[in-house]
Amino acid sequence: MKRTAFLCVAVVMVAGAVAFTTSASGHSDEEAAPVYGVRVPHGYRDWRLISVARVGDPLNDLRAKLGNDIAIKAYREGKLPFPDGTIIARLAWQQVTSETIQNAFRVRGGTETHLSPEQVEKLVDGSLVAGPPSNVQFMVKDSTKYASTGGWGFAQFNDGKPADEATHKTCFSCHEPAKDSDFVFTRYAP
Amino acid sequence: MKRIALLLFAIATLAGIVAFTARASGHADEAASPIYGVTIPAGYRDWQLIAVKQLHFAGMGEQLRAQVGNDIAMKAFKEGTRPFPDGSIIAAMHWTRVPSEDNDKVLDPAFPGTHSFVIGSPVNVQFMVKDSRKYAATGGWGFADFKDGKPGDKALHETCFPCHAPAKDRDFVFTDYALAP
Repeated sequence: MKRTAFLCVAVVMVAGAVAFTTSASGHSDEEAAPVYGVRVPHGYRDWRLISVARVGDPLNDLRAKLGNDIAIKAYREGKLPFPDGTIIARLAWQQVTSETIQNAFRVRGGTETHLSPEQVEKLVDGSLVAGPPSNVQFMVKDSTKYASTGGWGFAQFNDGKPADEATHKTCFSCHEPAKDSDFVFTRYAP
Repeated sequence: MKRIALLLFAIATLAGIVAFTARASGHADEAASPIYGVTIPAGYRDWQLIAVKQLHFAGMGEQLRAQVGNDIAMKAFKEGTRPFPDGSIIAAMHWTRVPSEDNDKVLDPAFPGTHSFVIGSPVNVQFMVKDSRKYAATGGWGFADFKDGKPGDKALHETCFPCHAPAKDRDFVFTDYALAP
């Protein structure tokens, strides 16, 4: 009886370990991006901020660049090329207006400033927040594996699914103008 | 002789601890914001991202902005907890917005005529600190605005709470958590 109980505990523990390993790997069971085989890195939304940007017409999005610990360290120390293990994430959201912010502008613009209604509306129109997610892109540094593309592997995911091969074939050529900064466009925001 | 060495070692250790403590407190010795007495929280640049924004100001053009939060704030944002619990701190970093011709060139083949923008230089950083007792008169929030490490004047800080009043239904916080793409 004691032995059976012990066996049961052992089986449960093994099952638990298997379940934990699977869940801890997060997205790693999901599909990898073509060409480079990059997967969505676990927990990337919690990484630290590198900088922000905006792209106007026709894309009209707001963007944030986040980096894993190796990336942030390299950025702060001004280390180029980026060391192996660096991952940079570029998150894009559709730009939308915020009614709450617009109201705040209208209230203050109308009562506490000397702005005309037209001027207030201009401020309202120029104020945008991050709306629905557009897509996320990653650059993964592995100087051996990705030797032919400046040491970087590239990936784009739309709604968790990798974009097609044609899209991924444009990544490196698009980043080539930034060769002097190790193919990375974004600078660290002070 | 051995005793003196031990004493020296003890003094050196103590001096090290004092030096470390002084350094670890970082900005805490610097000036506090008027009215609310909020100082710059150490390490806020390492906090997690809440969201990003563009804001257009009269005579100042557009700014690009990022909001980050300490662990208490991020937990509340992710779980949708309102009001925010005491200890929440939200930091809003504001930069000037400048056009990026380099990025435009890169984007042009795929998206002709695209105008893209990146950050220019830092404008200011603002903080909202939740302490429902200490700041009971202002929705539980203490406010602070720092430019180049120095707090803005009293008149500026008098505008914080009235400006946030329209967001009362959202515990006076404008920003929503931007979901992972």
